[in-house]
Formats: sequence, structure tokens, C-alpha cells
Amino acid sequence: MTSAAALSAPVAAGPLPPATPLAVTAVGAVSAAGIGLEALGRAVAEGIAGHADPAGLSEESLPPRPVRVVPDLPVAELIGRKGTRHLDRTTKLALIACRLTLDTYPGRAGERSGVVLGTSTGSIRSSSEFSMETLRQERPYLVNPSLFPNTVMNCAAGQIAIRHGLHGVNATIAGGHLSGVQSLKYARNALRQGHADRILVGGVEEFCAQSAWGWHLSGALGVDVPVGEGAAMLMVEQEPTASDAGRPVLARILACETGYGPPGRLADALASVVTAALERCGRRPEEVGAVSYGATGLTGLERIEDRAVRAALGGRSPGRDVRVKESVGECFGADGVLQIAGLLGAWRYTAAPAGELALVTAVARDGNVGCAVLEAGALA
Amino acid sequence: MSERGARRVVVTGLGAVSSAGIGADEFTASIRAGRRTTSPVRSFDPSGFPHVHAGEVHDFEPRRWLERIDPAHWGRSGQFAASAARLAVQDAGLAAEDLARTRAGSVMGTTSGESAVIEELVGAWAADGLKALPPDVVGSVPAGRIAAAVNSELGLTGEALTLATACSASNYALGYAFDMVADGDAEYMLAGGADSLNRWAHAGFYRLGALAEEVCRPFDADRSGILTAEGGVALLLEPYERAVARGARIYAEVLGYSVNCDAEHMVHPDPTSIAACIRAAHRSAGVEPSQIDYICAHGTGTRTNDATEVAAVREVFGDRLPPISSIKSMIGHTMGAASGFGALICCRALYDGFLPPTAGVERTDPDLGPGVDPIPGRARTARPRIVENHGFAFGGNNAITILGRVA
Amino acid sequence: MASTASVLTAEQDGVLRAIVIEVLELEPEELTDTSSFIDDHDADSLLAIEILARIEKDLGVTIPQDDLTEMTNLDGVRAVVSRSLKEARDV
Repeated sequence: MTSAAALSAPVAAGPLPPATPLAVTAVGAVSAAGIGLEALGRAVAEGIAGHADPAGLSEESLPPRPVRVVPDLPVAELIGRKGTRHLDRTTKLALIACRLTLDTYPGRAGERSGVVLGTSTGSIRSSSEFSMETLRQERPYLVNPSLFPNTVMNCAAGQIAIRHGLHGVNATIAGGHLSGVQSLKYARNALRQGHADRILVGGVEEFCAQSAWGWHLSGALGVDVPVGEGAAMLMVEQEPTASDAGRPVLARILACETGYGPPGRLADALASVVTAALERCGRRPEEVGAVSYGATGLTGLERIEDRAVRAALGGRSPGRDVRVKESVGECFGADGVLQIAGLLGAWRYTAAPAGELALVTAVARDGNVGCAVLEAGALA
Repeated sequence: MSERGARRVVVTGLGAVSSAGIGADEFTASIRAGRRTTSPVRSFDPSGFPHVHAGEVHDFEPRRWLERIDPAHWGRSGQFAASAARLAVQDAGLAAEDLARTRAGSVMGTTSGESAVIEELVGAWAADGLKALPPDVVGSVPAGRIAAAVNSELGLTGEALTLATACSASNYALGYAFDMVADGDAEYMLAGGADSLNRWAHAGFYRLGALAEEVCRPFDADRSGILTAEGGVALLLEPYERAVARGARIYAEVLGYSVNCDAEHMVHPDPTSIAACIRAAHRSAGVEPSQIDYICAHGTGTRTNDATEVAAVREVFGDRLPPISSIKSMIGHTMGAASGFGALICCRALYDGFLPPTAGVERTDPDLGPGVDPIPGRARTARPRIVENHGFAFGGNNAITILGRVA
Repeated sequence: MASTASVLTAEQDGVLRAIVIEVLELEPEELTDTSSFIDDHDADSLLAIEILARIEKDLGVTIPQDDLTEMTNLDGVRAVVSRSLKEARDV
């Protein structure tokens, strides 16, 4: 056997292949700002804080910090009356976002459609409560079997497929703050490979006592930053598919790039994925007119994100800052797609001109960094 | 139509952390011998459970395998994944620094993420309430930490993607990694999966009537269910041309894959949808059913899975079923890592020349119909050329990969 | 079925009915002694196991998983539970 050193020739990576633009043809969102894209767009554009009263949401006591929650989930109206008894809040939020998206989709979803859903850890409330039952019951197996599927992270994506008959690719992306850009990147590849003709790309996070305490105790979130919840979804297809069918393109996703940086080099890593994303779609930094930020409120990361974006844009600040978390709170696995929905909502609310170019950035403490590049379409 | 990537993609490194041993060689030797490595659970207190056997990685010492990351800051699943990835890179004869200098990333599948961490926190909650959650443990909860552990351990600068598509997640990961390397998005990808044993899944499967008492025997007339299990697995993928240029050992070529969704029921697999997934995987790989020499089954050990899986295979292959076996008969159901271990043993089967066995089969279930060959007992010497690796999951998430020997 | 009914108290019988109605999300009048859980009430095996699990917990009996195949309607549930209660008493 030859030595490891002799075997490993340095690899000159070639240029990245050009990115295929994707078309966003429908959007749905549910958050503390309200039900639907309009509510989110108005809140983001006007800087309105979402609903802040968690009454009735938790039997456990909550930490002493602000929250942003969805007051009344329209379950019966948007999901149905039957078969919802065992759905957890994560799945309900995802199903509502899905319903809102499909209601505005000018085509038919059907069999050849897929789901790519971002999460942090599924429903942490469902898994930890199920686990708690094994400790609290007289015998550890006296759990409710119908709640078991809720403990599995792909529960919400599976339910969406079942309820809407979507037989295409069905993936759950445990990306946390990176869920949005990672899900888009995954969906772009799945569309290119023919695993579906169109994909619902979403993100979901529920508010619960378990994660509220987790954020509160970990110190990862600024002390005054609210813990939130929500779900958002985009119908994404390859651009020719949408235009051939005459569906208006609300926005084009020109690039989504991800990377990983070691501790201490996160800003550099983020700046270089922003640069790579712009290069990959052939745009220049000075064309960027908006940034939708992902690290708002995250201790240490907010400044890293600002610095990286400024560096990648050559020190100039874009005209439009979108900080969706100022309205909806910290929504972890839902953040990424809410950043995009918030951007689209704000574009629509302010009647932004088609062609405005935006960055959607994300950075996580572990080292994950990502950036999507969007272009405003026919939002009016 | 799909657009096939420009580059052929091969597997040149394998890493395993399992009840059947640590490292691909130990794992393979144990599987070939048909050794059952499940045992009574020690990582959580199983008292009160009528069934206490599982595929546990006893006495796992992360510091022995990990060079860069501090195990204290990472959960058990992340430690498994990072250790398996480190082993795979070593197995490929590469230095991690060389991976770190180019576009290299990881994609890891999981069912329950850092479930052992969550249960540690549940313990604190039960004892002193949620306000007593230990802050330093909370940060290890997110499932995305699994792929992050791999990138941090190896210093990789490409994507770190954790796919939570439950029990077929490793095959999802392998398919995605294949595309990334084939299309030039990445020069190297580590693909696999990891999961940890936990009380909640043990209770859930027991309550569903799906948990075997002591022995998991897929395809046997007297099978009684699954055994839960844990572990981590990683496969190193790179372009064929470079593997040849650097004189690497090539275990197998990734020929194609397919993913789809039953969209019928959360826990009951659908044979027609699985058959469609098999056909799509064959199309992707450019192969005919008659070319498949072996199927590494999902083979959980439940009656429902056996009946569904064999029905689906029959729908595609007619009456000439390839030999089909389940390594879960030996290591149990490693959940998100399961189809990754399946892919690993497929690579070794192609490279070393054998068919992996199903342990514990005394009488193949006649209800499965004629022609089912589960390769009972020990591995069979053979020279398979093209093999098929199954993964099915909660939520109807099917994923099938096709691997071939590189002549 | 008549012979099994004697083993169950009226209260136990009421508990069984209430569990089935709740798990299958039925209006009380929809559930008859012989209406089929699967064909008439859209049950699946997960819901059937939930019925079994609830009965075990609420009545403190142990029901072998194999008996699920008999629990296709309310009378079937009564027969299985009666047998389990009888066996528990005979031990």
C-alpha cells in the first residue's frame, strides 16, 4: 500500500457549473404577523411586531422573555376537521403554509410534485413529551402509538404529501438557520434530476416551552429578542416549466450556495459564499438592491453577518434591509424561507420594480453559511 | 427527463461505527460470518420494557477516533457520523487536509437526530423542570449538528447537509452526494447517516407491536419484528477519473438512484409506489431488472415489511427474484444510518465478491411466495456486478440506490 | 357474544365505547356493536393499536398484540377485553 501522502494529489476544482434559475410561482406564510403573505409583507415593510401573547399555548411555565406566536391556527378552515387530532403544532403550521401556497398557485400540484421542508429538529415538543411519557407512565411503553409519528422529523413533510397526493421527492432538511438556502439547493438539484416537476420548498418551527427555555438558557439569542414560530412555503419550478404554462413568476431564484467555515472565520466563509453565489449567476455586487438577513438577534452572529455582507458588496449598503425576525421573532428552522417570504411580501407591499436583486443570507454558529440570490418578478 | 451529470462517481472510502465493529473491515467480517451483534441495552435504563435487546455500540470511545472535534460539545449521533467519516477518509488513503483544500462536503441522513441529547434534557426536565435544562447541552440538540460534526472534524469547507428523511435518509444522502460530484458541485462528498438508541423509539416500536423480543429474523416464517439500533456510517465519493489517476482502491461505482413518496400512510409502506421507485432507480442507472445480481433489503423484520418489500420486488422482477437479504438480522435497525450500512456492505460485496446473508432464517416464510432467496446463515461467495440497495421510511419516503462493480 | 358481555361491567363497557368513539373521532350514534372500524369508520392499523393501547392503560389489562385481528368492531373489542380480564382473574 502506498502512503496516504503519495496517493493524495492536490485537486484543482474546476469552475462551478452555471446555476439553473428557478421560478417561484406561489408563496404562503403563517407567522406571528398573521395568516398569509400580505400580513407578513406589511409587518416587515412597516416594522410591525407580531402577536406577542402566548396565552393557552403551553402548560409548562415559559421563560421570562418576549415571544412571537400565531394566535389562532385556522386548522378546521385550512386543514380540515377530521384526522387532525394527533397532528402536532409543527405539522399543523406546515400544513397551513402548504394550503395557503397551493391556494395561490395558478396550476395543479398533483402527483409529480415534491416537498422539501426545512426544520431544526422536527417538533422538539413532540419528541421530548413522548420521551417524558416513557418516564412518567407506570410502564415505559404505555405511550400513545398515534403520537409516535410526530417524534420523527419527516412527519410534517409526509403529512403534506399524503393530504395533497404528492408522490415526488419528499425530503426533510434539518438545516436549522440554514434550512432555507439548503432546501432551495436540494430542490434545485431534485428538479434538475427529474425527481419532481415542481416542489413545495418550506420551513417550519413551532413555539413550545422546551425550545423557549432552550433559547433562553443557552444565551444564543439576545436577551430582548423574542422566540417565535411560523412556517412559510414557496412553489418552485424550473423557469421554462412555469413560463411555458403561462404562470406568472413572482421571483426568480438565481443562485443558492452553501459552505462551511471554521470558528473565527465565519465572516470570511459567509462573504465568500455571497461572492460565489453572485458569480455563479453572473451578477455584480453593485446590482444588489436588498438583503434579507438571517442572523438578526443571534448573539455574535448578527455582526458577523453584517460584516460579511458589507465585505461582499464592497462596503456599500444595499437600499433595502429586510429583517423579518424583527416582526416574527426567532423561528430557527423556518427562518430561511420566512426571510424569502418576508422579502417577497415586502416587495409586493411596496410595489418594488421587477428586476430588483436581493441576497438572502444565513450563518450558524457551527460553521454553516449560505446565500441565495433572488430577483423580483411579477409581484403586483 | 433527468440530466445525468457529466462525471462517473465512485466510492473509494468506507467508515462504520456499529454494534458489528468499528471500521469497514471489522464490520464486513462480522456481517460475512452472519454474526448477530445485538444485545441487551445499556445506554438507557430498559427496566420495565418486556423487550430489551438492541443493536447498541457498546463502550464507544469517541476520543479514540476523533482528531479535531471535542466530543463534549457534540451529541452521540454527531460523534458516530464524524468518526465514521474520519475512518472513510483514512480508508480512501486521503489526508483530510487535501479534502479541506478543495470543494468537499458532507451529507448525512438521520431519523431522530441527536435523540440521546434530547433524552438527557428530558431527564433534567423530569427531575427539576425545564428551567433546569443544562445550557451547555442545549446547543447540541439540533439535528443539523450531525453533518456539521463531519465538516468540523475533517475541516471541510463545502456544504454540511443533514437529511432527516427517517429510515431511508442515508440513501437520500448517497443520491444527493452522487449528483453533487457528478455535476461538479463538489470534488469529494462524504455520504452516510447516524442515529442513537433512545427510549422513545424503543417504546414507540414496542407499542406498535413491531419490536422483537431478542432476535430479528426478516423473511423467516417465525419473525417477530425489528430490533432498534444505532451507529454511524460514511462513504467517500469522488469522480472516477481522479480515483483512477491517484491509484485509489475503487469499491464500487454509484450507477444511479431514485426517490419518491407513497403519499398514502405515515407507517404503512405501499408496494406499488416502491415498485415505481425501483423502476425509476433502474432507469437512472441505465440497467434492466435482469442485470441486478443482489438486493440489500430494507428488511426490518416485520411481517408487513417483508410482505410489502417482496411484493414490490416481484412486481418489477417477475418470477426471477435476485437473492435478497437483510443485514438488520445482525445489527438491528440503525434507522437513519440503515441504508448507509446497506450501501457499505453492497460496496464490499461488489469489491470482495460475496452476497451478505440474513442471519437466523430457519424457514423462509412460504407466504412470501416462491423464489425468495434470503441467503440464510452466512455470506455466499459470488461475483455480483450490479446490486440494488433499498431504504423505506416513515412518511412513505422511499429511496433506492444502484451500485456496480468497476471492472 | 352474549357470553362475553357478562364479564364486562356496564362501566367497563362504557369505557370501551368512549375510547373507540374518541380514537376514531366518531359521533356516539355512528358507532354500533357491529359497525366495522375499517370499512365504516376509516380506521387504520395505527388507530387500532391506539385503541388497544388506550384500553390497556385505562382498564389496566394486558392484551396480546395478536388479538388486534379480532378487534374489528365493538363486539370484537368486547370479546378480546373480556378474555383478557378473565385470564387475568384466573391466574
